[in-house]
Amino acid sequence: MADQNDVDYEHLEYVDYKDTEFLEQFINNQGKILPRRVTGVPARVQRQITTAIKRARHLALLPYVSESIR
Amino acid sequence: MAQKYQYELTYVISGVVKQNQVDDIVRKVNHLIESNDGDVLEVDEWGNQRLAYEIDRKRSGYYVNMYFQAPGPLIERLERELEVNDDVLRYLTLRMDAKMKRHYEKRKQRRAQEAEEESAEETDKDE
Repeated sequence: MADQNDVDYEHLEYVDYKDTEFLEQFINNQGKILPRRVTGVPARVQRQITTAIKRARHLALLPYVSESIR
Repeated sequence: MAQKYQYELTYVISGVVKQNQVDDIVRKVNHLIESNDGDVLEVDEWGNQRLAYEIDRKRSGYYVNMYFQAPGPLIERLERELEVNDDVLRYLTLRMDAKMKRHYEKRKQRRAQEAEEESAEETDKDE
């Protein structure tokens, strides 16, 4: 996930909770949110991703705990 | 006149509910908004989807994603309506700020474009 500077996160204006495919990049196989030192995205974007993942979890679009370890 | 805001609402109806009852709930929600000085902009039914985790022993849910304009106090009544309905498993209401509106417009444009390309492909096949 780190060193993905080819993706233009600086101009990412809004992170959508509906875009689960995009958000899945930022969770590990347990369903946990990856820390910024791993994702390497700007702080502003990381905050938005965190909120978006939590919203998606509430709506059962993403798991709180992944199926494999439950 | 009360000030109106734009909202995005997603709710999940239990997957075991029959289609005609689903339609009833959707209609009731839309009616509640429209009869209280609100405007429904778009209703996008995603249909039955697998839930990421079990809710009340249900494994699937019918997702409805909608956009509307309404005065603030209506939200409280709307959410109360969704809360007391046992068939609605989850709901999420967000007030859209400028960034979300821009994102919404972009998304809408992209979808319109995709639909256009798809129909273009279909006419290609017909020929």
